[in-house]
Amino acid sequence: MSGWRKKERLWGLLFIGPNLLGVTLFFILPALFSFGLLFTDYRFANPDMNFVGLGNLKRLFHDELFYLALKNTALFLASVPVSIGLAFLVALALNKSVYLRSLLRAMFFMPYITSGIAIAFVWMLLFQPSKGPINQLLRAVGIENPPGWFSTTDTSMLAIDIIWIWFMLGYFMIIYLAALQELNSELLEAAKIDGARGWVTVRRIIWPLVSPTTFLLLVTGLIMSIKTFGIIQAITQGGPGNSTTIVSLYVYRTAFSYYEMGYASAISWVLFAIILFITLIQWFGQKKWVHY
Amino acid sequence: MKRNRWMSASLVLALTVSLLAACSGNGGNGGEVNSGGNGKTETESSSGGKKTEVIKLKMWGGVPVEAGPQAVVDAWNAEHPDIQVEYERFVNDDAGNMKLDTALTTGQGADLFVNYAMPRLKQRIDAGQALDLSEFADYNIDEQMGRDASQWKVDGKYYGMPTTRGISFMWLNKDMLDAAGLPIPPADWTWADLREYAKKLKTDATWGLLRHEAIFMNPFNSVLESVGVTRADGTSNLDHPLLKEGFSTWHDMMFADKSTPTYGEQMTSKMPVDTMFLKGESAMLDAGGFIFRNANNLTDNPRTFKIAFATTPRMSADQQGAKAAGGLGDVLSINAKSANKEAAWQFLKWYADGGMLPMAAGGRIPASKSVNGDEAAALLLKGVEDKYDIDSLKKVVFGQFETFVESLPQQVVDIRKAEYEKYLLQQAELDASLAEMAEKHNEFLKQQP
Repeated sequence: MSGWRKKERLWGLLFIGPNLLGVTLFFILPALFSFGLLFTDYRFANPDMNFVGLGNLKRLFHDELFYLALKNTALFLASVPVSIGLAFLVALALNKSVYLRSLLRAMFFMPYITSGIAIAFVWMLLFQPSKGPINQLLRAVGIENPPGWFSTTDTSMLAIDIIWIWFMLGYFMIIYLAALQELNSELLEAAKIDGARGWVTVRRIIWPLVSPTTFLLLVTGLIMSIKTFGIIQAITQGGPGNSTTIVSLYVYRTAFSYYEMGYASAISWVLFAIILFITLIQWFGQKKWVHY
Repeated sequence: MKRNRWMSASLVLALTVSLLAACSGNGGNGGEVNSGGNGKTETESSSGGKKTEVIKLKMWGGVPVEAGPQAVVDAWNAEHPDIQVEYERFVNDDAGNMKLDTALTTGQGADLFVNYAMPRLKQRIDAGQALDLSEFADYNIDEQMGRDASQWKVDGKYYGMPTTRGISFMWLNKDMLDAAGLPIPPADWTWADLREYAKKLKTDATWGLLRHEAIFMNPFNSVLESVGVTRADGTSNLDHPLLKEGFSTWHDMMFADKSTPTYGEQMTSKMPVDTMFLKGESAMLDAGGFIFRNANNLTDNPRTFKIAFATTPRMSADQQGAKAAGGLGDVLSINAKSANKEAAWQFLKWYADGGMLPMAAGGRIPASKSVNGDEAAALLLKGVEDKYDIDSLKKVVFGQFETFVESLPQQVVDIRKAEYEKYLLQQAELDASLAEMAEKHNEFLKQQP
């Protein structure tokens, strides 16, 4: 290796050093530590800790609330593809010359940079079943019994999904906009000459061309969503009747309300396995629909 | 190309690992860093140039510093130049308690701390963080604080000193009661009576009854105290007939009488029940002493009506030996690892025996018999004497009742809530909810070591 290359490598290490140190200290080591806790009955601050082997996992597989949380997580994650689809359409519209384009772009992106707690409170007001603007509107257009949103177990997750779709939309849209700008205009022109119009261009040319972006958004969007719980904790605390308790919230509750660190570690590692599994499926499934 | 794929695969792995870490590493939301050490600093004393040691203590409590604690520590610090106390506020919720527990575990300067719930105190005892106070022989907690103090004993010992006295009780809009020709209810009234009162007091513009979320379960806990959390055979008692009666009465007040807001309405709008009551939007408010902070603040909550008080009703005449929820509270412990236990004990005794009086204005009534009850009452009522019905206030707020300390583990509290919510939102039948509650409680009981 030449001296120049060596030097370059050293600089590279120096640049990523601080970040690597942070990740090691605050992510990797705690993660490994929690893997150790998985096999214990450790309760926070209690020095009396016993090795319980796979006891926590056994308990988990008989835990009804865990299965409910899994189901809720699946319902919650359904918002991600919807949001990605909408973001694609919005990005398409805003990529063309429309009035107030920059303003609209900024508006769609605003939620993503707004404080989660503020979002939670505003949406809680909007969704309020009797006096909230959403149900007022629904009543005004003739729907006599609008949904109870957060006040029923059937609609609370739907309301959370709507908030989440709206929240993620801006981020997805910005990434799509970048992808659309990068599109090879020759391909589009060729398609046009061949007689492709409007929707056909979108479906046959643009959508396949941005498929790597879609794939990226799907993977990162699912991972980002699966670990979210702040917004749910702020609005419903997992209720009513545990209908919005997703796995990450259950981890939080077990660890920081019940102090059962061993059991919480077990849940988070199972969650990790699930995320890894989903991601691998997507990874291998991409060959079928992602075009580089 | 191959190498590239490996890189991306490991990237995916790294992403997922960091996700997990984010889940588990969310703990001590930025623990407070304290100068720590042994908590002592040396200062030159002005007189002889001799060095005297000033002991520094830190007390953690959940009351906002301006609502009394600052006045308390200022008074102490002025009297005791050699022992200086600093107050650190933690919010009494999961995150706040976690912050305190982290400080205790890592030795970050918490010499004294207040426990607000039995399960938390027990946790801290198990973790070896709360000092067994029996090592100090110069103070008799039972004698000073009265019979109910012993409810805070764990395995026969005090690991903290209960300092306040207060039960949950009903706030009544006396003017509305008078207008409806209703007397202040007797101490042994029941939920059936309450329902009648609410029905009669309800108008188009005002509720008959509002209940504060913090005490929703107090009457139910009182029943559990009477009949036992578990049956003789060790199984759950959460489906006891008296509890069923209570839930059903409450439900009917929401949906049949419409004298109290529905559960869904109250929860989804985060109803500010205390300010609503103080604005005259409800005739009754089921709450406790913590409302005084707002009720005495006539600038923000101006009112013309008088407030009277009543005890929280029993669930029914069948509830034998009903006790009032609350009793003694604000249990002050000394950190077992504190370097200055003796100084902390000095402060603790002073605090309990009257030092805490500035907090009475916010509704925290000292429990110690060394504190003159009239003095506390005077502080509480300073400037607002004519806004209360003094007779019922003395009987209820300062009355002597048999009390109990709520001690259900958080897991059971959550199990119960998830099920009764479904009933009160009219999404499940009461019997099914109660059966589910009991079944989950039984599962929980089986897991316990």
